[in-house]
Amino acid sequence: MEELESGVAVAEPGQSLQLEAEAEAERPGSAPLPGLHHKLLRLPLSRIKGLMKADPDVSLASQEAVFAIGKATELFVEVIAKDAYTFALQGKRKTIQRKDVDNAVDATDEFAFLEGTLD
Amino acid sequence: VRKMAERPEDLNLPNAVITRIIKEALPDGVNVSKEARSAISRAASVFVLYATSCANNFAMKSKRKTLSASDVLAAMEEMEFDRFITPLKDALEAYKREQKGKKEASEQKKKDKKPESEEHDKSKEDENEEDPEGVKMVEDDQKEIENEEEDVDN
Repeated sequence: MEELESGVAVAEPGQSLQLEAEAEAERPGSAPLPGLHHKLLRLPLSRIKGLMKADPDVSLASQEAVFAIGKATELFVEVIAKDAYTFALQGKRKTIQRKDVDNAVDATDEFAFLEGTLD
Repeated sequence: VRKMAERPEDLNLPNAVITRIIKEALPDGVNVSKEARSAISRAASVFVLYATSCANNFAMKSKRKTLSASDVLAAMEEMEFDRFITPLKDALEAYKREQKGKKEASEQKKKDKKPESEEHDKSKEDENEEDPEGVKMVEDDQKEIENEEEDVDN
């Protein structure tokens, strides 16, 4: 969606992580530096882990696996939000509505696993 | 040991966090209806479940009981979310560095308290490395999951 940013630079996911990595390397474990608002993970690990444990086939997960699922989920939210936005734009709206999300799900093969789950 | 939560809202992800992630992915001035945000949040929960199940298949194929980060990466490819793989790997590297820093900091504190040195010979741990990402300290990680809950639970 870069063409909609009208001059505002949007960091690629890899770039913002570089900043985080450097900040973390300087002050491991501490709060992010002021002005640097890209945390490594926003979703709480405990919540992610709770969801994972809902699967009876899952016995144990390494902390890195929980983090990886959490991070993948954040990336997923970004993608589906942006896709929904393209449909809002088509409808000449600046507010994303439920039907835009539905259209985004229908339009993308990788989102097929969501069919029937959002109702 | 925390009991598994049974409240329905614990299977959801925090609204405020989901909203923030959505907003930061979009240009300024774009709004999201409550229904849309709720649908995206539910989609995210379904994604966790589906990705976990897929990753777990890889773990089971390798006869491991512990889900690893490389299982998650394999799942992303399987689910055709190849575009996630590079940013995920980057994030994992940063995360491992952060965890290593925390661990070294707390071990340093222990050393300062106890004069006698404790032998933590991690290098002699099991080399059955199914996980090419180099996650060796599986057991410590598992313990850390318990510890981390206090830190990260908002």
